Amino acid sequence: MMKQRMTLLGALAASVAFVGACPAMAEDKEIVTVVKVTGENWFTRMDEGVKAFGEQTDGVSTRQVGPARADAAQQAAIVQDLIAQGVDALAIVPMDPSTLEGVLRRAMGRGITVVTHEADSLQNTQLDMEAFDNAEFGAHFAAQIADCMGQSGKWTSFVGSLGSLTHVQWADGGAAYMEQFPNMELVSPKNESFNDANRAYETAKEILRSHPDIRGFQGGSAIDVIGIGRAVEEAGLEDKTCVYGLGLPRDTSAYLESGAVDGISFWDPKDAGFVMNVLANKVMNGEPIETGMDLGVPGYENVVVTDGPGEGKIVRGQAWVDVNASNWNEYPF
Amino acid sequence: MRSGKTDGQLVFLIGINALVVIAAMILVGDRFMALYNFQSMGTQVPELGLLAFGVMLAMISGNGGIDLSGIALANLSGVAAILLAPSLVSPDAAPLGYFLTFSAIALSVGMLGGALNGALIGYAGMTPIIATLGTQLLFTGVAVGLTGGSAQQLGYVPLIDDFGNMPIWGVPRTFALFILIALALAALLKFTRFGIHLFLMGSNPTAARFAGIRVKSILFRTYLLASLLASVAGIIIAARTSSVKWDYGSSYVLVAILITVMAGVRPEGGYGRVICVVLSATALQILSSLFNFMQISNFFRDCAWGLLLLLFLANARVHWGTYLPPVLRRTDRARS
Repeated sequence: MMKQRMTLLGALAASVAFVGACPAMAEDKEIVTVVKVTGENWFTRMDEGVKAFGEQTDGVSTRQVGPARADAAQQAAIVQDLIAQGVDALAIVPMDPSTLEGVLRRAMGRGITVVTHEADSLQNTQLDMEAFDNAEFGAHFAAQIADCMGQSGKWTSFVGSLGSLTHVQWADGGAAYMEQFPNMELVSPKNESFNDANRAYETAKEILRSHPDIRGFQGGSAIDVIGIGRAVEEAGLEDKTCVYGLGLPRDTSAYLESGAVDGISFWDPKDAGFVMNVLANKVMNGEPIETGMDLGVPGYENVVVTDGPGEGKIVRGQAWVDVNASNWNEYPF
Repeated sequence: MRSGKTDGQLVFLIGINALVVIAAMILVGDRFMALYNFQSMGTQVPELGLLAFGVMLAMISGNGGIDLSGIALANLSGVAAILLAPSLVSPDAAPLGYFLTFSAIALSVGMLGGALNGALIGYAGMTPIIATLGTQLLFTGVAVGLTGGSAQQLGYVPLIDDFGNMPIWGVPRTFALFILIALALAALLKFTRFGIHLFLMGSNPTAARFAGIRVKSILFRTYLLASLLASVAGIIIAARTSSVKWDYGSSYVLVAILITVMAGVRPEGGYGRVICVVLSATALQILSSLFNFMQISNFFRDCAWGLLLLLFLANARVHWGTYLPPVLRRTDRARS
């Protein structure tokens, strides 16, 4: 009986091996962008940039893929299958950079170009692209707050959590910038909101109670300004306070309109997606990547190139977008 | 106790595997059939396959048996090992010693977690779905607490990286290990007293108890074994990704259950075959890779998994065996 089973298995395997396979077509170079998760507004916007690059560049086809759920294991599986397909270049926004190290080492071993975004700790990448230097981004908020306050008065800063490295860098960058103004006083810095608009609101209310004369707020996580804005609105201080921070236009629009939040900044994922593909294409063609290059997108006209933690390099732009009550509706997210 | 129906399941799964491969050849072509792609798929199967074995064992034991804590314990094993091992053996000086220490710690944590599951279900008599949901949260919580929620880097240890990613004689080592474990598990279920008692207990716990089978002890050992397999998955994950994190593979719980049900393991207990679980896992992997090759949305994949689950549940109700030539209708023993 067992023998017959094996014969059957053998026959199946043989039939599988002999069915003719279609030849793969040689065509455009293929750059695939892998995002953390599909269906999120942020990455839907990024897809626009990815598509735009493919449409305006000859000899290159681009597409964006990502797992349906935010799971590092699913993202790694997708990358692994893309390597097996033999794509020409990968542009990746890692869910968790460390889990992809082994997979990306393999990709580069097979001659696939690897470019990443938001992963400046990753070793196995040829190029990591960051929209801006985090300390500069913090200083940019602080400059707006100082202008708005006339360089004098009390201000404070928020972070999603003290474990969020980028948020802490923004808060520190802001504080360092403010040191040039002797009349600016930083009170209870780096309040944690735990990425929860309600916590940000409660904390902002407490700060308003303990420092009734506070005038400046620097938000950290994208929802901090929402919580701060609500507290400011309830206290009726829309015109007296200066609130700036990371934020998304749609989410923050109500507070921008009322003046409770004065301005938000973010980096446009569409541009980030486009620039990642520009860089992947350049690396694929063997072009050098140098400080001062113009990548053809506002904010990435004069990039800074430094050495990364591994063999690769880090490319930084100055690509923040400032949004206030007058222009938030230009952004569909 | 076998019938044409159950053998139909095996033939059906072989057919599904062949069908998916033929579909891939027609739809994608050479790139899919490349050796590298099969190696790549081979490295992706073991972690899910081992978790599915755990679910299979729990289901066979009956009494609504299931193990939801698998991937959480796999991650916890990896976390504990990565925190403890470097203080005992230096990864640079003695890579093999380091890897063995790492594995030993991971397996010990698997044993501890399994003993907890086994005690709760076997001796305290808790419902498996509730007990393992609780321990899943417990294991996840401990892993978060130990690491503060961040990923732990294993670093680049060539020996471990080779184990996780490089093939030997064309076969990925983790896949070879997976097949060895499958063979051992099949032998355990088929030839040992534990295996026979497990199936008897799953078929009818009351009769098993009156027949003198030590039900509590069998349950305890079943969940211990499932957890041990999960910690092996944890070692493979750590080797493959050079890191461990508490939330790696958060979608694996459901996929492992899907593999098990597709393999025809009876959720009410008493029946399940190791080879069917292996074939079910490979079919799912080939299909999943095919979707990626064909650039099909990952949302569709979730939908397809749901459809497959229904298809296989329906298949379990149809007696395919009666349509087969007599030569394929085995009616003797074989449960492994």
